[in-house]
Amino acid sequence: MPDVVVCVKQTVDVYQLKPHPETLAPQIGQAQWKNSDFDLNALEEALRIREKHGGKVYVVSAGHDVKPLLVRECLAMGADEAFVLSDPSLEKADGSATAKVLSSIIKAKIPRWDLILCGEASLDQNSYQTGPRLAEIFNVPHVSYVTKLEVGGGGIKAWRAVEDGVEVVSCNLPAVVTVGLEINTPRLPSLLMIRAAQRKPLNELKLSDVGLTSNDVMPKAETVEIKALKTERKKQKFEGKPEELAERLAELIISNVGGRR
Amino acid sequence: MKALVFGEKPEQTASLAAYLSKSIQPETTYAAAFTEYSPTELETVGGAGVKKIYVLPDKNWHAGPASTAHALSELAKQNGVDIVVVYASKKGNEIAARTAQRLDASYASEVISVERSGDAFLVKRLVLGGGYVASLLLRHRPSVVSIKPASENIVPGDKPVVERLNIVSDAPEVKFLESIKPEKAHVDLEKAGVVVAVGRGFKKKEDLAMAEELARIIGAEVGCSRPISGDLKWLEEERHIGLSGKRVRPSLYIALGISGQVQHLVGMRDSKTVIAVNTDPNAPMAIESDYFFVADLYKILPITIESLKKKLVS
Repeated sequence: MPDVVVCVKQTVDVYQLKPHPETLAPQIGQAQWKNSDFDLNALEEALRIREKHGGKVYVVSAGHDVKPLLVRECLAMGADEAFVLSDPSLEKADGSATAKVLSSIIKAKIPRWDLILCGEASLDQNSYQTGPRLAEIFNVPHVSYVTKLEVGGGGIKAWRAVEDGVEVVSCNLPAVVTVGLEINTPRLPSLLMIRAAQRKPLNELKLSDVGLTSNDVMPKAETVEIKALKTERKKQKFEGKPEELAERLAELIISNVGGRR
Repeated sequence: MKALVFGEKPEQTASLAAYLSKSIQPETTYAAAFTEYSPTELETVGGAGVKKIYVLPDKNWHAGPASTAHALSELAKQNGVDIVVVYASKKGNEIAARTAQRLDASYASEVISVERSGDAFLVKRLVLGGGYVASLLLRHRPSVVSIKPASENIVPGDKPVVERLNIVSDAPEVKFLESIKPEKAHVDLEKAGVVVAVGRGFKKKEDLAMAEELARIIGAEVGCSRPISGDLKWLEEERHIGLSGKRVRPSLYIALGISGQVQHLVGMRDSKTVIAVNTDPNAPMAIESDYFFVADLYKILPITIESLKKKLVS
């Protein structure tokens, strides 16, 4: 019965994010927060493993202001217990700080685990770091970009998507696996599951609870500026009858590929 | 300043060295390899600026990313390098992350540029779905970055010194079982002059035939947004354009039924001209296109195709 730890990051909803018209800085304060997409694929996969093999599913989340409501969503999907750590010093956390905090939570609170599942990258930073870094900290193998996963016999078999096709690999447990959206479709919790989640343990932690100080989570890669990309486009819009639009489209295609043919 | 570069393939290693020679100009550039390079490949990496190449046992590669990262971090330590630069392929990114963790280093993945800034390295990378550029300072030595520099012509030069080194690693192993190659012929979207890209505006896999026919008529390659290759698997992964897929820069990009989420836009932003067809006038693609057709592609595409056939024949 494998016990699975799922790392879930809460991020701004980048789909809704708008830049400030003059400074071009992202207006984070106005954006909604959500659980990072691929992390929910990781959670879904953990739940499927539990349905097949038993064991427990733990959710771990850390950030400068972890929202309990979003953690409840993970519990409603089916996770058994959650450990969350909020600290203002994590606002500028880089991959190194994130891996440090998550590994410290796991070491302190989940002494026995077989598999750590993460999204392959987060919605906001897209760094592809957390999974491999955790694996290095725990000195276990990791497999990234997994699109199909089988657990059994003290190990895993994984199908992973790389540039030139799919690689099938195996390794022993404990291990770390990162997944993308191809692996599954995360379930939407029913009202009943949402209600049941209210009674599940959601443990809120401080840095000192896991043996850390804010000095331990200083970023090694320091973000000094974030600005929206600007694209210069003509932005001409065409509306009207399909026949006219189709003809216009054909003309524009020809005038833009013309030089090449 | 000393740099260590590593790419899965010789041409990737060469592109890294060439990029560094232009940007941060290291005094010495070392390279790591897990296979023997041919004389031509050695002249290419030499021309790109590599002074010395360490050829490590291929078992450090085949035993998986932990073993590769162990070897790279040992090389970085032995040579006292200031920066480790890994080609940002998918495997490169996971190896770089483990290497950074081993070295307790500053690390930025998939950067788009690296420069010196005093004693630190200033790097830029796309964040928040690809719509924003973040500037980061890497102050710790060594620093680690992964980057995919644009390929350029490298004039062959003197071969670097080749040193064979055995690094025994007890890092946890991942066993390679088999590789499943994609069925269809290889497409080189990154070099395509015209791209026809399809998105969720297509309701059935069979309907993609329209886009394929359009592409055939005008000599374009077909690409897609992530849901088409990922969730739906209507097209091969190598046609996926976006943050985690290909970055294309054709002279003409035709987006059919693509709303234009930031993750997709980052893959096509460098296109010269963008034409889009979408039913939603407020789709993000509207402000990312030169010509935006508010239309049902099912209604206009068949007519456009017929019209193009006539026009191009005459």
